[in-house]
Amino acid sequence: MSKRMRINRSAIAGSVMVLPYLVLLLLFGIAPIVIAFVTSLQPSMVTPNGGFENYIYSVTEFRFWPAVINVLTFLGIYLPAMMIVVVGISLLLDNIKPKLNLPLRLSYIVPAALTGSLSVLIWYIMLEPSLSPYRDLLHGLGLTESGQIWRTGNLAFIFVMMAFFTGAGNWIVVQYGSLQSIPDDILEAAKIDGASQTQIAFRIKLPLISKYLVYMAVLVFAAGLQIFVEPQLISGSVFPGLAADWSLNQLSYTFAFASNNLSSAAALSILLLVFCAIAAVFVVFKTDFFEKPKKRLK
Amino acid sequence: MSSTLELKKSKIQNMTRLKKFKFSSIIVGLILISYSVFSVVPMIWLIIAPSKNAEQLVNFAPMAFGSWDGYINAWNNLMTFEEGVLVTWIGNSLWYNALIVLISSLTALLGGYALASTDVPFKRSLLITTLIAMIIPSVALVLPLFIEVGAAGMFDTPWAVILPSSFYPFGVFLAYIHFSTSIPKDVYEAAKIDGAGEFTTFTKIAFPLSKGLLGMLAFFAFSAAWTNYFLPYVLLSSSSNYTLPVGLGLLFSSTPSLNPLNGAQSSVIGRPEIALAGLMVAIPILIVFLASSRLLVRGILAGAVKS
Amino acid sequence: MKKKIVAAITMAAMALTIAGASAPALAAKPSLTLWVDTPRIYAAELYKKAVASKIDVKIVTIAQSDIQTKIQLANTTKKGWPDVTFGDPQDTAQFAAPTNGFAANLTKVLPKSIVDGYAKYGNGNSDCIFQGQVFCLKNDLAATVLWYNVPVFKKLGLTVPKTMDEFAATAMKLKGTGYTAGGYGDHNYYASFLQSSECPLIATPNNNTVRTVVTAPACTRVAKLLQPLMDAGVIDKRSAFDPGFMKEYPNKGMVAMTLGPAWYGKFVIQPKDVWNMPAGTMTAAPMPKWAGAKTNTSGAWGGGVFIVSSHSKNPKLALEAATYLATNKTVQSQATGYPAFGPVRELWHKALKSDDYFAADPYPAMDDAAKKLSQLNRPVRFPFVAQVGTSLTSKITEGKPLAEALDSLAKGIQSIAPASGYKVVTK
Repeated sequence: MSKRMRINRSAIAGSVMVLPYLVLLLLFGIAPIVIAFVTSLQPSMVTPNGGFENYIYSVTEFRFWPAVINVLTFLGIYLPAMMIVVVGISLLLDNIKPKLNLPLRLSYIVPAALTGSLSVLIWYIMLEPSLSPYRDLLHGLGLTESGQIWRTGNLAFIFVMMAFFTGAGNWIVVQYGSLQSIPDDILEAAKIDGASQTQIAFRIKLPLISKYLVYMAVLVFAAGLQIFVEPQLISGSVFPGLAADWSLNQLSYTFAFASNNLSSAAALSILLLVFCAIAAVFVVFKTDFFEKPKKRLK
Repeated sequence: MSSTLELKKSKIQNMTRLKKFKFSSIIVGLILISYSVFSVVPMIWLIIAPSKNAEQLVNFAPMAFGSWDGYINAWNNLMTFEEGVLVTWIGNSLWYNALIVLISSLTALLGGYALASTDVPFKRSLLITTLIAMIIPSVALVLPLFIEVGAAGMFDTPWAVILPSSFYPFGVFLAYIHFSTSIPKDVYEAAKIDGAGEFTTFTKIAFPLSKGLLGMLAFFAFSAAWTNYFLPYVLLSSSSNYTLPVGLGLLFSSTPSLNPLNGAQSSVIGRPEIALAGLMVAIPILIVFLASSRLLVRGILAGAVKS
Repeated sequence: MKKKIVAAITMAAMALTIAGASAPALAAKPSLTLWVDTPRIYAAELYKKAVASKIDVKIVTIAQSDIQTKIQLANTTKKGWPDVTFGDPQDTAQFAAPTNGFAANLTKVLPKSIVDGYAKYGNGNSDCIFQGQVFCLKNDLAATVLWYNVPVFKKLGLTVPKTMDEFAATAMKLKGTGYTAGGYGDHNYYASFLQSSECPLIATPNNNTVRTVVTAPACTRVAKLLQPLMDAGVIDKRSAFDPGFMKEYPNKGMVAMTLGPAWYGKFVIQPKDVWNMPAGTMTAAPMPKWAGAKTNTSGAWGGGVFIVSSHSKNPKLALEAATYLATNKTVQSQATGYPAFGPVRELWHKALKSDDYFAADPYPAMDDAAKKLSQLNRPVRFPFVAQVGTSLTSKITEGKPLAEALDSLAKGIQSIAPASGYKVVTK
């Protein structure tokens, strides 16, 4: 059997195997973007000429910049909080024997079960002074009514808490795993050289897992940019209108389903998508996170 | 683990700092344990809450237990909502998720294998597209998907949720990593030299070695799909098609449970009922999480971490 | 794992079978889908029972705040409309606009008895009429009245205020007594004060113009009158539904008075899970009059409507259903709100008095208020109620000055109105 024949057979078999995924990729990964782009160029009630007018309309709409500021504030707190706590807890965990800290790790991923609509419910309870398990703590802080907590100035913090609470556990487990992957001889060598635990943590462990940290930062950023569920549900009828059009995704949703303007909604979605895609391309090409698989290709 | 000799060395070195070390480890323990408490308190509250009635929720200590009848009561009250539509939601969540897990895991398994060990054309572009798709949060595609699904006439059908949720680039990446690192190349090569085709190699050699991978694929597919809110919220409109999380959202925004403005005396759906509905969402995912916590560690880092 | 997958598939198969089996076997009966909020479920159930032999009625529970987006969603996908939906009067304005087109024009198909039933007892259906065309049927009139506590008034030697200045003076006398004159950190501030004062916020001189003049004395006097009360703590910045507010005042019977819609009585003041005020304490008096006004005008918080879909496959049945829900005697006599449809009010009044809960009959005050509903601010095509929540209410509950809260609402209106094709006039 000649080599070329085999390669061709392999190519055909590979194509057949990849086909189901390829269909899904085209239909639900690429087609929606193309369709949204085409839609974003169509005329609407407020943009009779269509085209890029929809993009201009979206970014000059009076709710756009407040939403940008909200989302940036959110990200500005969320991203550092997430990085610091996740890294901190993972480093602390790494000092304890894996068997001993297993229950801890398990407890950390419990909140990940409380996402989406459930997280809104949970945080409504946690922040309601008459119901909360942290009742005494809230009262101690002088917070005796929900009106003191659920106010526009606090929303970014509240949404950070919600997102942090559900997301941090998984990342702790992951980053702990990445710390565990550091070869023991490197750490032993450092200890013999007389490095303290803190020095080892900051000078050796962190640099060694930095690419996972970058990867995490990008994923957390991309997900945070798209925040929707929490503000949307809380301002539905729990606190009517409190966080209406608070985030960019909500605004896009409002364009589509409150203002009957699918074109501008699509334009805004495309803009958001572009930012995420840039972040993704950055990870793929500018960090060495995926270097190994790529090398293996050749 | 390193050699015992080296361990002893470091132990001797640490001896001098023993006292300080003990003190700091108490602090470390305290931090770790308090974060752990903070993590589980809401879940425990949620588990206990339906045992109490609305008044007891406010008047009892937050973590006090009411009675077992509370759960039955809350369940019966939930059943009054649209003639027990909650059962439909549970059923929907189960079968949508079963299909999503099945389709996404299988396509990912095949796709990952093809990318890792066959000569599929456009391998590099496919791989890069997959990586980018994997990093873009799925939320970003919801509105575009709505436009597409609407145009395709699939809006408000189960398929509007099942098919898009089955697109699983992360799974493909996982499988790709698995097949290109965990299974030694020479195993494939040997099979191929023996004249086995790609399909035979896959079914006879690669697949049997992929039980762990399959579990991991199913786990991640399930945990993403089970709690998904935005996509089904936008793509489904009849409550008989809802999934549990979307139903939960409807429950607490349409009933007086969180806001009495919705008619406190016109509905028996209050906070204990909402907590019970919430528990229905949380428990399956919690069980799956705890049962497969080890997969979680390996999963995201499968690329390079050998743990 | 295998076991789990097998189990999951079996479950899925079972779910499919159940879903298939429950589908209606006979398609002979026409079907109607009704969207109602929780307080209207009983009405829909009554209707379902009444027509059980003829029509397949599907009742869907919705959140009031979701109605506009859900209809828009259906408009975009061209399917999934209900035949009849409950809604806020503000919803109708949007649904009646040609750009939306969901609301069916009922002008020509409405039976005369229904038209008269609304018209002959005051303008019961005025919220549903746009450019002389009828687009919905009004369920209840949510006109604001003065709810007050008879024994407390007696104990403190207070007289029932007849003007807004007297209201303020009376409220001030509550200082230090532990009683409150109401919580207004919700839509009630708009309805009871701004709207009753006839502050032009969403006045619509014509179909494409919104007049918003916050500098008008009718607007500025509201904050002037109420800010001192807020500062003195005799009125509350929290919502009447706020758990903390309810615990502190109404649940202890500590409400001396409050302005609020007619439905406060059966929906807020009495129910055990809400205010739970003791029986024999509360009743309603006519709305206090603003200085210089011709009469004691009232505002409205809510006052729902039933809207018939223009896409209904059974338009006649849909209209009948809406009519039943809005005007049927059994339905309306059990309603919490003051019926908009005149001929059923007598029965409703009887039901209101039947349990002797109120200290005195609140009906005359409601009747008075319903006749004097302000007609200045009208339903508009943009989400006004949500806007009140986002700007006015959130500012009030945060304890910001009331004047600032109003400015914020006005700004919101000015920004949001143009997208719905309105020109905003500020003079």
